[in-house]
Amino acid sequence: MGFFGTTATSPPPPKISSDGAPIAPDRTQRAKCWEGRDAYFRCLDKSGIIDSIGQKDKAEKECAGEARGFEANCASSWVTYFKKRRVMEHQKAQTLEKLRTEGAQMMPGQVAPGGPGQKP
Amino acid sequence: MSKSFIPSRSLLSSFSRSLKYDKPMQQCLRLRSINASCRAPAPAPKSFSTSSARPYKTVEEQRSRYKSGPFSYRAGLLFLTSGAGLIIYFRYEKARMERLRIAEATKGVGRPKVGGPFELVDQEGRVFTDADMRGRYALVYFGFSHCPDICPEELDKMAVMIELVNGEGGKKGLLPLFITCDPARDTPAVLKEYLKEFHSGIVGLTGSWEQVKDVCKKYRVYFSTPQGVKKGEDYLVDHSIYFYLMDPEGDFVEAIGRQHSPEQAAKIIGGHVGDWRGK
Repeated sequence: MGFFGTTATSPPPPKISSDGAPIAPDRTQRAKCWEGRDAYFRCLDKSGIIDSIGQKDKAEKECAGEARGFEANCASSWVTYFKKRRVMEHQKAQTLEKLRTEGAQMMPGQVAPGGPGQKP
Repeated sequence: MSKSFIPSRSLLSSFSRSLKYDKPMQQCLRLRSINASCRAPAPAPKSFSTSSARPYKTVEEQRSRYKSGPFSYRAGLLFLTSGAGLIIYFRYEKARMERLRIAEATKGVGRPKVGGPFELVDQEGRVFTDADMRGRYALVYFGFSHCPDICPEELDKMAVMIELVNGEGGKKGLLPLFITCDPARDTPAVLKEYLKEFHSGIVGLTGSWEQVKDVCKKYRVYFSTPQGVKKGEDYLVDHSIYFYLMDPEGDFVEAIGRQHSPEQAAKIIGGHVGDWRGK
């Protein structure tokens, strides 16, 4: 429907390596994917949408063109990951802002010594 | 008696005066019984100094010494350099002890052991075990090639660290390892393609699902890769994002997280590598 049309909804299938497994996106493919993501998120920012999965219809109406560009350059797992991450980072920023207004002070350095095996 | 003594005394003193200029000490000794006021000639009659004579060669030397007190430029310089030397040494020792404490803290009894024996395959298809890590420090990173954003960033950081630490030492310093958490998609050929974009020195390791799960467990890495995924399936893998620094005996030293810049990380690693003297 958008500028890119409906045909390019996912990146071209990855090259298959000599031992039969799909080769991961290389540096240029990653950069292209990130560009598509940034363009899409800029559009979401303009429309005031944070959660493009929860507000799917609105996001589709406002940013259809950018969404196609995003999906055309990134694997679908990456698209979902970046969309969820956007929500997570927004929540994180909000929590920090809330704490700051409550008078909390930023502690320098790490909160706790990071142990191995800790999830990101 | 007394009358006859007086003239002889004045006579003797005039005699002694004439002698004084020749051999005063001798004369004093001889006359001590008679003249109680006889003293050894004072070296400087005007000085009231109580200290004994110092070996000054000239008056000028003595004067300059008196002006500056017990200090001189040479003494001051010596004081400052030795002081600065001590401060530098103590700082170095303090940093070294701190690193040692971190390294030892992970070795003690009752501590969770990170690392251990494993058998995997490198990107050339050769078998690679924990024994191949021995003899030098290793920087271990877990990830997967289909990782959207964090792994590539971290691997770029790793490349900078390798360059900074191994810059002069060549191959001796640090062995960088990339262990995949996604063995289904990360075959040796895929890893080879993937890692050559970051640094030629990184050894990429993969294996069967069981082998990878085992090594992740030993390194306390969160492992969520589903078993038996179909070919061409698109999924992501959760994993820890720490660099594990392992010493030449395969013991865990320190974890380096995302909060460290490559320069900071290289400094930490370089410090540990420099401390190693073999045990």
